[in-house]
Amino acid sequence: MGDTTVTRLLDERGLADWRVLADSQLFAAAVPDGRLIAAREVPAPEGYAGSLEHPRLPAITYPFEWTFSMLRDAALLQLDLMAASLSEGMILKDATPYNVQFVGGRPQFIDIGSFEKYRAGDPWIGYRQFCRQFLYPLMLRAWVGVPFQAWLRGDPEGPTAEEMWRLLPGRRRLSPGGLLHVGMQARAERRMKGEAVRSTLAAAGFSSDLIAANVSKLKALVESFAWDSDDGSWVGYQSCDHVGRDRRAKSEFLVGVLETMRPGTMLDLGANDGHFSRLAVDAGSVAIAVDGDEAVLDRLYRSHLPNGHLVPVLADLSNPSPSQGWASVERPGLFERIRPDLVLAYGLIHHLVYTSSIPLAYVVDWLATFRADVVVEFVSPDDPMVERLTANKRAEELHPGRRQEDFDRLLSRHFDVVASRPLEGGTRQVYHLRPR
Amino acid sequence: MIFAYLDPGSGSLILQAVLGGAAGVGVAAKAMRHRWKMRKMLEGDAEAEPGDTEEGAGAPAETQES
Repeated sequence: MGDTTVTRLLDERGLADWRVLADSQLFAAAVPDGRLIAAREVPAPEGYAGSLEHPRLPAITYPFEWTFSMLRDAALLQLDLMAASLSEGMILKDATPYNVQFVGGRPQFIDIGSFEKYRAGDPWIGYRQFCRQFLYPLMLRAWVGVPFQAWLRGDPEGPTAEEMWRLLPGRRRLSPGGLLHVGMQARAERRMKGEAVRSTLAAAGFSSDLIAANVSKLKALVESFAWDSDDGSWVGYQSCDHVGRDRRAKSEFLVGVLETMRPGTMLDLGANDGHFSRLAVDAGSVAIAVDGDEAVLDRLYRSHLPNGHLVPVLADLSNPSPSQGWASVERPGLFERIRPDLVLAYGLIHHLVYTSSIPLAYVVDWLATFRADVVVEFVSPDDPMVERLTANKRAEELHPGRRQEDFDRLLSRHFDVVASRPLEGGTRQVYHLRPR
Repeated sequence: MIFAYLDPGSGSLILQAVLGGAAGVGVAAKAMRHRWKMRKMLEGDAEAEPGDTEEGAGAPAETQES
């Protein structure tokens, strides 16, 4: 494992499956067009049959950090690769969105080990997993009107068919997708729990054509899912007075830093419409655009042109993704996964301090944990936006030490100020900070 | 590091014949008939569920079966 590559070790069976994939038309087409991660065989260490080398991705994100459109595109990629695999005598043995990452503004399948030779008569082992981790979460948003992220963060396996059935509204229960993939599956799972059925299916003449037909219909169902993301509370943010007025000055300040530093990765905290992330992408960086509002982030994802490397991440910064899974190390927390060269925190600190009630000192300490340069906007208590945010709070309910001199003193514990500049209006200032 | 455990679910597997469309209906019927015969064989004269043979369809019942 190097700085720019990741190594995958294979046993005999894995090596045989890899070679079938490597010789396929699917591999020849899907790597160049970005649907599949690049892979090349390298000498295997002792004790292993084979070894593959992949490029290291700048950001790993998890399905509960994706927006609706991201999960939908990931589901369509999964189905697309299933259909292509079946047509060449292969199959994807599982169907989890954890095998998909977002690279160049598009989903990319990263688990080469999921491809295996299709064995005649076998059903699609990953169908149930596809339903629980892709289909039902999308249904939750599109058909029930409930965000899927909290569920997938709480339970990465996703809703069971039975749970999904209980949630579906009546008219959706009667639709073919609801009846077949949810209702019938819930019933079949209850009645046949633990039965050995693979050999029964093979003996009854099951074939890959039936899987292909199911995959094709699932694709149409997923394509039919829609979510109107235009009602997010932050959707109109860029039209606020102070945003338009300060945007040019903040852009110039950031571009100056980008040109000097040339960071490989910029973490944009509170990215909103992604204006500043795009500046980083234009400067040749990878931008990781974090925001807590699914509607604005979904718009950003949909509006972003492929090839520019911008990774949207849906996260509440006052409660970011924790470390989860086996021994709490299987899926590291958000900020353990992402190590940026530059952190951007424009229009953020006052929301953490006044909306989420995080003391200013804690916010500065947290910014220092990235051990990276930081470009930050400080908003003083006299700013009209702060007055709005605190309209219903009494002075004693606010943490003390929120003035600019407090901020400067807190910064000096961790950072040197490389540059700073007041913004028009006199209540805001931008800083370029470097860790000591 | 991801430890993926995958439970394919017996019911979800059988259902796939039905989901294969017209071509799958015969396969589903054959598989269910085979399953029914196996159950009868295993259970002797115990009461089988004739409804299981070719339907597998419909909404789940309100009460859980064990």
